[in-house]
Amino acid sequence: MLVAVAGAVLVTAPVARVSLANTEIFLPAYAAAIFLNELITAVLLLALFSVQRSRAVLVLSIGYLFSGLMVVPWALTFPGVFASLGLPDPGLQSTASIAALRRLGFPLFVLAYALLKNSDSSVRNSHAPVRGTILRSVAGVVAIACGFTWLIVTGDDALPRFMSDTRNVSEPWQYVPATAVFLYLIGLTVLWRRQRSMLDFWLIIVLCTLLIELIHLSYLSAGIRLSVGWWAGRLYGLISASLVLLVLLSQTTTLYARLARSVSAERRAREDRLVTMEALSALIAHEVNQPLASMVTNADAGLRWLGRKSPELEETRAALKRIVNDGHRAGNVIEGIKTMFKKSAQERVPLNLNQLISDVLRRSQGEVQLGRVSVETGFDEQLPLTTGNPIQLQQVLLNLISNAIEAMNSVTDRPRVLGVRSERHAPGSVVVSVGDTGIGLDPEHKDQIFEPFFTTNRDGMGMGLMFCRSIVEAHGGRLWATDNVPHGAIFQFILPHNEDSALPNKWKLP
Amino acid sequence: MNSEQSVVFVIDDDPSMRESLESLLRSICHEVQAFATTQEFLLSERPDVPGCLVLDVRLPGQSGLEFQRELTRLDIELPIVFITGHGDIPMSVTAMKAGAIEFLTKPLRDQDFLDAVHRGIDLDRDRRTNTAVLADLRERFGSLTSREREIMVLVAAGQLNKQIAAELELSEITIKVHRAQVMRKMQAKSLPDLVRFADKLAIDITKL
Repeated sequence: MLVAVAGAVLVTAPVARVSLANTEIFLPAYAAAIFLNELITAVLLLALFSVQRSRAVLVLSIGYLFSGLMVVPWALTFPGVFASLGLPDPGLQSTASIAALRRLGFPLFVLAYALLKNSDSSVRNSHAPVRGTILRSVAGVVAIACGFTWLIVTGDDALPRFMSDTRNVSEPWQYVPATAVFLYLIGLTVLWRRQRSMLDFWLIIVLCTLLIELIHLSYLSAGIRLSVGWWAGRLYGLISASLVLLVLLSQTTTLYARLARSVSAERRAREDRLVTMEALSALIAHEVNQPLASMVTNADAGLRWLGRKSPELEETRAALKRIVNDGHRAGNVIEGIKTMFKKSAQERVPLNLNQLISDVLRRSQGEVQLGRVSVETGFDEQLPLTTGNPIQLQQVLLNLISNAIEAMNSVTDRPRVLGVRSERHAPGSVVVSVGDTGIGLDPEHKDQIFEPFFTTNRDGMGMGLMFCRSIVEAHGGRLWATDNVPHGAIFQFILPHNEDSALPNKWKLP
Repeated sequence: MNSEQSVVFVIDDDPSMRESLESLLRSICHEVQAFATTQEFLLSERPDVPGCLVLDVRLPGQSGLEFQRELTRLDIELPIVFITGHGDIPMSVTAMKAGAIEFLTKPLRDQDFLDAVHRGIDLDRDRRTNTAVLADLRERFGSLTSREREIMVLVAAGQLNKQIAAELELSEITIKVHRAQVMRKMQAKSLPDLVRFADKLAIDITKL
C-alpha cells in the first residue's frame, strides 16, 4: 500500500500543478459518487448502531452523513459548474468555506468516535428507542448542514478570503490543510492506541487516504483547482473510500450470515431436543398404555363373569390375576424410565445463578440481536449459591428467554427490552425473573400456559413451560408468571439456596 | 345369547391383552380363537360360520393395516374391528375406507367393543346368506334353456307378451308357455319376484 501511495505521489508530482482546463464537467459526477459513497457508509454505520447501541458509532455515522451532505452545496457553488442552472452567484469564498468545513469537521467526528469508544460500555444496555435516536440525529445533521450552507451562501462578505480568484487559493487557506493534517494525525494516533475492532482498523486506513488526498490537493498542486494534482488527489480519495466501503459492506454481510447461522444452529439443537422428547414421550405412552389397556379389559371381563346368573369364579380369578401381573408390568416400565433419567437428572452441584444467567444470555445473543432486543440485567452480587443441575436450569432459562424474545416479535411501538434479574428472596431462597415488553399474557389462557400441549405458537409443541415448571419443582422451587407493567409478561422462579450464605468474592461479576 | 353358531378371531401379540379379550368375549358366550400373529391365523382351520376379526394395528412384522389389504387379496371376507394403543386420524380413515367395522383405541370401552363385534358378526351372517341365495338363483337360472333366458330378460325389462312375440317372431301362445316355464323353474310366485331375481343376477353379472 505504501508503495502504491509513494508511486501515486511520484507520478503526479512533476505535473501536479499543470492546470486542466474545462474539466469542470466531471465535477458533478465526482460529487455524486462521493455523496452516495458517504451516504451508504453512514447508513451502514447507523445499522451497526441499531444493533450495538454504541454512541461512538452513532457519532461516526453522523460525521459521514454531514460530510456527504456538505458535498451537495460544495458542488453547487463550485464556480462555473452549475452556472447553466441559473443559480444566483454564491460568491467567491463559498466553495472553499464549505470545503474547509468538511475537511475540518470529519476528523473531529472521528476523534469524538475514538474518545467515546472508551466510555461506551456503560451505555450499551440503555434502551432509548433506537429508531427515535436515529431519526433525531439524522434530522439534526440535515438541519445543521442546511444552516451552514445558508450562512455561507448568504454571508460571503464575512467569510475568510480563502480564494484569490476562481482557481487559486490565497494566504488564509494555508491554515486549513495544516489544521486538517494536524487533526488527522491526532485522530490516527488516538485510533492506533485504542484500536479494538475492525472498524477502528478501517478508519485508520480512511484517515491515511484522506491525508494523502489532502497532500495532493493542497501541497503538491499548491491548491490550484482543476490541476492534475488536484484531480489526482480527489480520484485517489474516491477510489480508496469506495474500497473501504466495499470492505465494510462485505464485512456486514459476513457478520449477518454468521449471526443467522449461529441462531439457526441453536434453534436446530433445541428442535432436536424436542424431537427426542417427543419420541421419548411416545415410547412412555405406549409402554404404559399396553398394560393399562389389558388391565381395563381384564377387569371388564371379570365383572361380566361375576355378573352371570351363576358367577364363574375361576374365570374371574384368572382375570384378576392378569390384572395383578399387568400392574407390576406398568410399575416396571415406570421404574425403568425413572432410572434412565436419574443418571443425568439427579446430578446436583453448587451453582452460581448469576454466572449461569450470563452464560445463557451469551448463548442467546444471536437471537437477541436478530430480534432487535436490548437486554437489561440486574444481578444481586451478594447472591448465595444454589444447588442444582446446571444443564436443566440452563434449559429453563433458555426457554424463558426465547419465549420472551418471541413475545416481542410483533412489537414495534415501544422498546423491546428483555430484563433478566436475580435477587435474594424471603430467607432461604433466591428469585430469578425474566421479563419482556411483548404482547403479554392472554388473561383467558393465563391458567393454562403451564399445562402440557398448550401453545399459542404454531410450531410449538406446548411442552416448554411444562418442562420448565417440572424442572424448577424438582429443584424444590416454584415457577409462575405475572403481568409486566405497562406491557409484557414476567416469568419468575424461586429456588432454595445453600445455608452457607453469600457468594465468595471470586464469583462476583464485574 | 347367540342361538346360531359364530366365531370371533382375535390377533394381538401382547399375551395379557389377548387373554383379556378372549376372556371378555367368552364371558358373553362367544366362541373365540386367539392368535399372536397373522401367520398363525392364516394357517389355522377356520370354522365355516359367521365371524368377526379383532385385529391389533401394531403387530410385529406386518401391521394390522397391511394384513387387512392382504385378506382382501386372499379373498377372505371377514369384518374387521381394529384396536390400537395410539390411533391417529389418518390411520383410522385408511382402515375404515378399506372396510373396517370400527377403529377403537385402547383401553377399550367394553360395550363399544362388544357392540362392534356383534355388528361384525351380523354383517358377516347377512353376507353369507346373500351369497347362498345368489348361488341358488344362479343354479336356477342355469336350468333355463337359452330361449327361456332370452324371454326372462325381456319380461323383466317390462315388455308385454305381444311385444316379445313380435320381437322374437314367435306366436303369443308360445311365449306364454315359455313364460310359465320360466316362472316355475325360477320359483317366482309373481312378476315382481322375477324382476327382483333378474336384478340380483344382473348385479352379480356386472360385478363379475
